[in-house]
Amino acid sequence: MDRREFLGGTAALAGATALPGIARAQGATELSFFYPVAVGGPITKLIDAYAAGFEKENPSIKLKPIYAGTYQETIVKALTAHKSGTPPVLSVLLSTDMYTLIDEEAIVPFDDFIKTDEDKKWLSSFFPGFMENSQTGGKTWGIPFQRSTVVLYWNKELFKEAGLDPERPPKTWAEQLEFAQKLTKRDAAGNVTQWGIQIPSSGFPYWLFQGLSTQAGAILANPAGDKTDYANPGVVEALQYWVDLAQKHKVHPPGIVEWGTTPRDFFERKVAMMWTTTGNLTNVRANAKFPFGVAVLPAGKKPGSPTGGGNFYLSKKATKAEQEAAFKFVRWITTPERAAQWSAETGYVAVTPASYETEAMKKYVADFPQALVARDQLPSAVAELSTHENQRVTKALNDGLQAALTGTKTPQKAMEDAQAEAERILKAYR
Amino acid sequence: MSAATQPAPAATRTDPYAPKGLALTLESTGAILLALIWVLPLAYAVWAAFHPAEYTTRFVLTAPLTLDNFTRAWAAAPFARYFLNTFILVTLILAFQIVLGTLAAYALARQDFWGRDVAFVLILAQLMIMPDALIVENYRTLAKVNLIDTIPAIALPYIASAFGIFLLRQTFKTVPKELDDAARVEGASPLQVLMKVYVPLAKPTYVAYGLVSVSYHWNNFLWPLLVTNSVESRPLTVGLQVFSSADQGIDWAVICAATLMTSAPLLVGFLLFQRQFVQSFMRAGIK
Repeated sequence: MDRREFLGGTAALAGATALPGIARAQGATELSFFYPVAVGGPITKLIDAYAAGFEKENPSIKLKPIYAGTYQETIVKALTAHKSGTPPVLSVLLSTDMYTLIDEEAIVPFDDFIKTDEDKKWLSSFFPGFMENSQTGGKTWGIPFQRSTVVLYWNKELFKEAGLDPERPPKTWAEQLEFAQKLTKRDAAGNVTQWGIQIPSSGFPYWLFQGLSTQAGAILANPAGDKTDYANPGVVEALQYWVDLAQKHKVHPPGIVEWGTTPRDFFERKVAMMWTTTGNLTNVRANAKFPFGVAVLPAGKKPGSPTGGGNFYLSKKATKAEQEAAFKFVRWITTPERAAQWSAETGYVAVTPASYETEAMKKYVADFPQALVARDQLPSAVAELSTHENQRVTKALNDGLQAALTGTKTPQKAMEDAQAEAERILKAYR
Repeated sequence: MSAATQPAPAATRTDPYAPKGLALTLESTGAILLALIWVLPLAYAVWAAFHPAEYTTRFVLTAPLTLDNFTRAWAAAPFARYFLNTFILVTLILAFQIVLGTLAAYALARQDFWGRDVAFVLILAQLMIMPDALIVENYRTLAKVNLIDTIPAIALPYIASAFGIFLLRQTFKTVPKELDDAARVEGASPLQVLMKVYVPLAKPTYVAYGLVSVSYHWNNFLWPLLVTNSVESRPLTVGLQVFSSADQGIDWAVICAATLMTSAPLLVGFLLFQRQFVQSFMRAGIK
């Protein structure tokens, strides 16, 4: 409709002298902190409590969490603020946005703040699987926080009905297919009433697909983030397996499977096994009205899964004092005890091995052993696909995957096209 | 429908262009089909909102009714505050748009001044600019005047609406000059002429424009999201986000309840004033 930049003139006059005022208070350093969750979600209460706890111990720092919605909305908000000169000092954004943020010159590496031996010990205390997505060119640009990985959930009741051992998840691709065949139920007319397995493919199919491709022995992108390997035979084989589950064996719903409603299908017993994030643990625990199991993803040539989720980033445009204060908070919140508490209350993976040794964590997993699966999978986990021009390069893969799943292209052709497109975009970065 | 196949003498005599026979059947069927397609998502939302989550995708007529989804949706975020914010926001925008639009349109339509046509072309040019292209610049401006995270910050970029000025100017142009002259002969000042002659005659345009403006800003999402940080200034659309956390899965029942709840004022308003809206749209020539 209509739009007008009403204040353009006035602001141009005032421009040179005006301060980027919002993030300043007298005496105390005020830290604005973007967090990718919507106001009112259960996580906001946790973050508010952490902020209050931190302020109590550090009265000279005022922490102001700003809840910005989904990851996508948060990065749009953060980059807009960055381009306007008043970015948040600290933000949690997708680990895969690292190259984008570096290219935009929006963030500074954490290395400058690592001074003492204790700092160094802290930096090396994280799971290496999570650091793969946080470091490039020898520098650490992000600190893992709200991290997750893909796991397999299965309905023990339906396993029993199908004559399978309810305590034993599929371990290999062949078993996964075999179990899924036993778990698929059809009515008299031949319509499926219960699917064997569901791997979501809407929105970000590349993430779940990365589980399959890693298991097939392929790596989708190099660590420098400037070259992809979509047309690798392993990648094509992985995609063929996924497509076959739906089109050849008919144990997986055909076409695109919606990410957001997959847990609901699982609760309603429309599907017996699903692949989804560990971030769903608490949700499934609260809503599944049957015993369920959580397992590491079945292995192809080898086991494997991508990591996912968000990292802490420090703004380049913030003052040195603000950055120091933000760094202090990051260190404070990633201590083993807090990481354990965070993991127990949200279902996200605790980011350091040490936090699994804490009392709080031991109590939590004694009660809910499924929470350990994510940790057990981490040794075989790889970095989530991330490159320069990340949005466009992953879109090329997403489009290829969806084209193959809906049957408009063969897996081979779909991956060759995706690789050609990614190559065209990334050429400029080498 | 059955009457459609027979000639309806009374109706055809009064309007020679009204469709009859087969044409009428076709047109009515088409209209009913379109209406059905339009209402289906809404009907689904109503179904999902008033039934327990188990029945969201199962259509059992005997399914128990419940208001539980609404209670849960209401409790999920500070919606009372969001309603107030949205209400203040759309009122603020509309009030400024009407005052500024009326004055500008009057000047452009009836006053002779140097550079009038250039000014008008400049205003028209704004209609061609994608609003999203201005986001960064607008944000920078508002940050400089220290307005980030306030309701006026959401409203400011919209209060001088090129669309509104254009629309009112065209309407004022259709007012016979004789009425203007007559008022002047009676000794009315330019402002009095505007208030007593032009504004009353442009009422349908104001109503139509008001509807477009209110529904647009009621539903606007991206700009309010970017420029606000706290519950005190966020409108409904940004509040609805709380249900879009894809990480945890989607609960359609609650989403539908929340959507109905937040769009209810607009829907009720439309149903109540439907006739006036349709008429003013026709008179004002907005399509």
